[in-house]
Amino acid sequence: MRELRSGLFFFGLSLLVLWESFRVELGTFKEPGSGFLSLFAGMGVLALSLVLIVRGWRIREPGKPHSHRVTFALISLFIYSFVLDSLGFIVATFFLVGVLLRLGQPRPWWFLIGVSALVTFISYLIFGVFLHVYFPRGFLGI
Amino acid sequence: MDAFHNLAFGFTIFLQPVNIAYCFVGVLLGTLVGVLPGLGPSATISLLLPIIFHAPPVSSIIMLAGICYGAQYGGSTTSILLNIPGEASSVITCLDGYQMAKQGRAGPALGIAAFGSFIAGTIGVFGLMLFAPTLANLALRFGPPEFFSLAFMSLTLVTYVSKGSLVRSLIMACVGLIMSTVGMDPITSRTRFIFGLPSLLDGFELVYVAMGFFGLSEVLTNLGQSLNQEIIETKIKGLLPNRQDWKDSAKPIARGTVLGFFLGILPGFGAAITTFVSYAIEKKFSKHPEKFGTGTIEGVAGPEAANNAASSGTFIPLLSLGIPVNPSTAILVGALLILGLQPGPLLISTRPDLFWGVVASMYMGNVMLVVLNLPLIGLWVQILKVPYSLLYVFIVLICQIGAYSVNNDVNDVLLINIFGLFGYLMKRYQFEGAPLILGLVLGRMFENAMRRSLLMSDGNPLIFFTRPISAVFLVVALFFLISPLLTKQRIGKEAIEAKD
Repeated sequence: MRELRSGLFFFGLSLLVLWESFRVELGTFKEPGSGFLSLFAGMGVLALSLVLIVRGWRIREPGKPHSHRVTFALISLFIYSFVLDSLGFIVATFFLVGVLLRLGQPRPWWFLIGVSALVTFISYLIFGVFLHVYFPRGFLGI
Repeated sequence: MDAFHNLAFGFTIFLQPVNIAYCFVGVLLGTLVGVLPGLGPSATISLLLPIIFHAPPVSSIIMLAGICYGAQYGGSTTSILLNIPGEASSVITCLDGYQMAKQGRAGPALGIAAFGSFIAGTIGVFGLMLFAPTLANLALRFGPPEFFSLAFMSLTLVTYVSKGSLVRSLIMACVGLIMSTVGMDPITSRTRFIFGLPSLLDGFELVYVAMGFFGLSEVLTNLGQSLNQEIIETKIKGLLPNRQDWKDSAKPIARGTVLGFFLGILPGFGAAITTFVSYAIEKKFSKHPEKFGTGTIEGVAGPEAANNAASSGTFIPLLSLGIPVNPSTAILVGALLILGLQPGPLLISTRPDLFWGVVASMYMGNVMLVVLNLPLIGLWVQILKVPYSLLYVFIVLICQIGAYSVNNDVNDVLLINIFGLFGYLMKRYQFEGAPLILGLVLGRMFENAMRRSLLMSDGNPLIFFTRPISAVFLVVALFFLISPLLTKQRIGKEAIEAKD
């Protein structure tokens, strides 16, 4: 299903690109407009995605096994980007590191807390103190 | 003689303590990522992009260049000692290098890899010093049609030699070109593909795309696989190759250097491909080809020289034409733009301090690498023992902090995670990131050159074929585009891939 799925995705994307290229004005060969290049690139994606769709339709290869570790890592990264401002760098990073460590390998809770605290502290020291990156402090003000 | 005079000027730039320090950090990081499997120079350079916002331009490029060529040194250490290639360009070194180590000849294998790399790297930099200014002078005669065709050829070649399917690579190159058009059109000031989002007005910043696509997605892909790696240790005795080793290796090093350097200049032929070609050539030239794969020193010397020479070769089109030939140099083009420098034929004449400073740093960087590599082999092996389940946490955190530190904006963290997700999915579906990054980097120049050419010719697209240099570039590009359709081999390969 990999070819079929990716083919359909890029087919949809190419339609969007073509629509936007026409919207922003194509121009002419004498005076190419803003949508000139994207039109040709979009047509390229359209044609190639059709190749993928046809190939995927004819040959149904099994999908790769899904990794839950990656899904959870991605979810935690997106949550991190949403809560970084409100929780502040130190608190949000402490939890992120803890979750990522746990995802990497099951470990005792004291190890997770200890390493998370250490990594958060070191990263704050390097980036916040030495490199003067102004991290968000969050509602706790730390 | 001008070149040597300029080189002396380059050394005055390099010998400033800040530049020596950046060069040292660059080659050290390069060796480190060369040692660590799953983290390549492209990922590392993209992770470090936020730092260069705060660093002097020449020092930044010296450091990033150091990562590019330093990675070629580090990869051989783990290939020889542990049979684990840190880089794709060190895979072939495993064949004979590890066998030599098993026979108790790890020292000479490591020694010849380091000295061969040093010789090839130094000669490669010498070639860069001679060829790049000449090519830049020639390119000053290029007009928009030549630049359009050159960019088209580069994109086609990179797409052609990509690991996966040609169809997928072409899609990624087209998507990269489309992404380069996002934002405000510099000619008409019309906004494109922003869908009402003001943050897209300036287009996609390479920092986030590269960090997400190469840094984060690489880590996520590794996370999806087994995180346990088995390490087999081998004892190291005497690092200096003996007289016979040198005799056996001299010609392979010379051939590898020439081959790697010239293949490195061509778009798409990265260091990895040159090592395979070098190995095949050495086997062909050898009086005892049957011994290849059982621990012959020629099988280590040739490819190791080739990958280092190729690494220097890639800097020629980058610094003289502003054309990247692989993902690492594409990100370097992005770095130059971030630093307010315009990559292209004028770079050498407008910023001689940058070009000659980088060239001088590459000479000294190669010396630093030999000094770093041989005595610190034990340390690199120890670093490899750090479990990936711990290491990946640091890499992810650096990605997040790096993205945030560019503008101190939380939205940038979200952006890099979105690109990380997209990059991960693309890898999962066997789409390569290199053509996309190249399309994104070359896109602006490509579009600008195309529009200016058509304006020049009053709308006649034949302008690209009537100018000789442009026509040559286009013929090469079209040959590589059409050749898969003519050869059943490639089509058959794709069908097999699809079935797999």
